[in-house]
Amino acid sequence: MIFCLTKSSVFIMGSSNLSCVPGQRLCLADDTHISGCGTYERQGYIYSTLAGEARVVEKDKSYVVEVHSSNEQSIVPTPGDIVTAMVMMVNPRFCKCMIKCIGDVVLTRPYRAILRREDVRAFEKDLIEMYQCFRPADIILARVVSFLKTIVNYYLQGINLPTTDLHSYQLSTAENELGVVIAHSEAGVAMVPISWTEMQCPKTYNKEPRKVAKVVPESIPVDNANME
Amino acid sequence: MAGFDLLSDQGLRLDGRRSNELRKIQCKLGVFSQPDGSSYLEQGNTKVLAAVYGPHEIRGSRAKRLLDQVLVNCQYSMATFSTGERKRRPRGDRKSQEMSSHLRQTFEAAIKTELYPRSQIDIFVEVLQADGGNYSACVNAATLALVDAGIPLHEYVTSCTTVLAPPPATSWDDEKLEEGEIALVDASHREETSGSPTLTVAALADSGRLVLCQVGQRLHLDRMNRALERALQGCKDVRDVLDEAVRDHLANCGISEAASS
Repeated sequence: MIFCLTKSSVFIMGSSNLSCVPGQRLCLADDTHISGCGTYERQGYIYSTLAGEARVVEKDKSYVVEVHSSNEQSIVPTPGDIVTAMVMMVNPRFCKCMIKCIGDVVLTRPYRAILRREDVRAFEKDLIEMYQCFRPADIILARVVSFLKTIVNYYLQGINLPTTDLHSYQLSTAENELGVVIAHSEAGVAMVPISWTEMQCPKTYNKEPRKVAKVVPESIPVDNANME
Repeated sequence: MAGFDLLSDQGLRLDGRRSNELRKIQCKLGVFSQPDGSSYLEQGNTKVLAAVYGPHEIRGSRAKRLLDQVLVNCQYSMATFSTGERKRRPRGDRKSQEMSSHLRQTFEAAIKTELYPRSQIDIFVEVLQADGGNYSACVNAATLALVDAGIPLHEYVTSCTTVLAPPPATSWDDEKLEEGEIALVDASHREETSGSPTLTVAALADSGRLVLCQVGQRLHLDRMNRALERALQGCKDVRDVLDEAVRDHLANCGISEAASS
């Protein structure tokens, strides 16, 4: 397939990629060609928005036209993403976190987020004690909550929205795979998870309460001989 | 306004250009490593540095965040040594604030703002030497810096000025010389301050859509078209120059075929 462009360059699918600049027309936008990331559609054509290389990816019998640039760091948390965050402050009502990674992408700048008491677990939401689920400097896996959903839920429950909520991203750990992944004990050693709600320090064998994620991190050595 | 003619009998301007020639543009992307994107641009004797940060979380006042688009924050600053007389206040004075707000409007039209809600993009522009066409050079430099930062743009946004000069060997006292008027593209400081109306235009070059149009003096509507046409053509020419610079930069950075992701 050959797409002819405005200048003398020709974009042939499957061969070497085309380097493009913002505003460069890539191809016609019809049923088989969809604009992917780094492109937009206008007046029946697909244009590039970035300076980089344009690629065509085959997906479900249609072609997705994408543009990737060398310094693609502009990513922002969107509702539904799984993020890796570090807990900064714990409060009986919520805890404040800094989002360090979105999915696999490590961010150059952290984003601030809030994890509310009601979003820590799916069941028995009112029996949660925040300090027994998270402690400062814990690394957690959480999901970014959709903003509209939160507002709708509150409205149905007739609760006034606390003003702090709308200023940061909202997180939720109400799934088995979400929660604390890495935590350090009071002795300063990385702890090992032993149940849904407890982690144990391998040095002092003290157990500390946390809301543990089901995923076992590979880097933490599991000391089988001393675990109960 | 006696003294010099902006255009000589042979059709040459004060610096030897023809009426439709731009000044020499030299530019470089990625001059700084700290900001996400940066560029340096020289348009004749006007020298401008631009730096772009973002998109990142909104700093300062939380109330300013927009729920459906990114907040574009521009700051225009002139170095104290940039003008003939030492500039007392590099930023924060009325003119700088007006320029900053014009830059912001220009880039809100060019950046795909809907991609980064509740976030902020900062654009800082520093004029190192001002020799006319400051706003234009700033827009061109900031476009390059945005491209360097990897921020999605609809198109290149470029800017150009035009001065409507009286034909040679006449003076402004003569009212009937409108037919013989010549539009001089990319005016230098001397041409801008000669008293002739100056039209500054910023446009999305590929599609020819106007983003900003500014006239300092009084300009009759009948004369507007000629000046506007020339200015738009000037914007397109600037776009070609910037495009070449961006492609050179891409080639130097090395786009590998098997990119990591």
